Amino acid sequence: MLNYFPNTSVTHGMGNQFKPFAIQMVTKMGFQFSAMLIALLTIMLGSGAIASELESGLIQGILSRPIQRYQYILGKLGGLVILACTYATLLFSLILVIGAFFGLSTITSLTFSQIMTGWLLYLLLPVAVLCLTLFGSVSLKAVSNGILMIFIYILGNVGGMVEMIGQYVSNNSVIGTGIFISLISPFQTIYSTMERVMVPNSELAASAMSAASLSGSGKPASLWMFLYIAIYMLGFVTLAIRKFSNKDIT
Amino acid sequence: MIIETHALTKKYGNKTACDQIDLSIEAGQVYGFLGRNGAGKSTCIKMLTGLVFPTSGSGTVLGRPLGDVSAREKMGYLPELFRYQDWMTGLDLLNFHAQLFKLKNKKDQISRVLKLVGLVGQENYKVGSYSKGMQQRIGLACALLPNPQLIFLDEPTSALDPIGRKDVRDIIVSLKDEGTTVFLNSHLLSEVEAVCDSVTFIHKGKVVKSARMDELLMTKILLTIRANGLTEELFAKLNKQHESLQKLADGSLTVSLNDYEEIPALAASLIANGVTLYELTPHRETLETVFMQIVGEEGQSS
Repeated sequence: MLNYFPNTSVTHGMGNQFKPFAIQMVTKMGFQFSAMLIALLTIMLGSGAIASELESGLIQGILSRPIQRYQYILGKLGGLVILACTYATLLFSLILVIGAFFGLSTITSLTFSQIMTGWLLYLLLPVAVLCLTLFGSVSLKAVSNGILMIFIYILGNVGGMVEMIGQYVSNNSVIGTGIFISLISPFQTIYSTMERVMVPNSELAASAMSAASLSGSGKPASLWMFLYIAIYMLGFVTLAIRKFSNKDIT
Repeated sequence: MIIETHALTKKYGNKTACDQIDLSIEAGQVYGFLGRNGAGKSTCIKMLTGLVFPTSGSGTVLGRPLGDVSAREKMGYLPELFRYQDWMTGLDLLNFHAQLFKLKNKKDQISRVLKLVGLVGQENYKVGSYSKGMQQRIGLACALLPNPQLIFLDEPTSALDPIGRKDVRDIIVSLKDEGTTVFLNSHLLSEVEAVCDSVTFIHKGKVVKSARMDELLMTKILLTIRANGLTEELFAKLNKQHESLQKLADGSLTVSLNDYEEIPALAASLIANGVTLYELTPHRETLETVFMQIVGEEGQSS
């Protein structure tokens, strides 16, 4: 990658400025791909969490015991959250350790507060994906749910790009479309905010990434957006419990 | 009554799986639930165990409304399509279910049920490595963990060999002796006949007959007659009196009688008409013949 970027139009003529730019790119891509990996793994974990037990009939032996259906859902959610967060923490730590090992200034200059905020936002991504996926797992077959969740996750990336294009061409309706997509799939918004915390000077890197069509990156999320994300997560868990509580286990 | 239902109905769209099911089951008996495939037996059991919600009607299980979680503390259920976490060992699985039942004396109960189902020494193997019969046994062990007052067994011997079936029959009898009510759904009618006190026949989602087993099997006597000199004229005459009289391929006759007291009169009539009698063998009707009559007739009429 360090050989590739000096030849791109974005970095042309940057001279001594290239090194910090490349470091930002490495850091940004590290977070971006690991976050995508975490999200996809979470979808794989969650899509069949309930659906596959419903399909195999395994659930009959469990729900005929003296437990409430909401306990089953919350138990599944709790277990998967712990698993996904453990894995996310491991990846997050590895990026920091590798960055520190190679002396990347983007990592070595991070404050404790930045790391903690970034880590929490990094964990929020799989948890939010899980809340939606669990609702899908109650409603759909495992495979259909997995496909739909991947589609929704990718839709979030598209939303970020659409919003960014809207800003670039100063078109409010395009911006509005991007925001609407982000409301359906707020995962990219969570990631973008985490990235702004962990790689605060990444605007140049962001434009290079977008030029290479790797991702979209809108404005950082407001507090209202995070309130919406909290309602989004709680809402889908509530819907999952409600749907599951009235579901016939056949 | 340990189970009581009133007009319990379950519909899936336009299809009615269970239609106005009325059950009234006394505690301490082995209760057979019989019907053809797709008759609605499993759906009914799932409504009683709280897995499926009735479309209409009501009921109680162990004195609690259908679906009440507290009733399940003293209720066991072995599903028809048993499937367990195959990555767990038998012991892990029993521990898991003991936790679901919130048992206090887990260790004692686990060793009790392992002994009961004959899996002592096999508990440390993974469930995935168990044979189908062993999986059914571990499922039965899970259902027996809470020392249940009521246990639902949905085809409990479908994967078992003859020895395994006998073991399960013995378990059912010992459960009954301990005062446990057993709700048994099985297609093996000889098994049901051997252990059940009462049976209910269900056909196309409706209860078509409920009776005590002794009443059900004592109502008719099947008489086999081996005789010589029976003319067509005499056969036609006897057939008017006994519509069920049939001539079998080997030349013998069978007739269904309501009472043993009818046998001497029939024998006298045959002898008086010059028939030489070699053998008169009365049989009690089996559950299979009763099942065929009840469910078969319903099948033809519908």
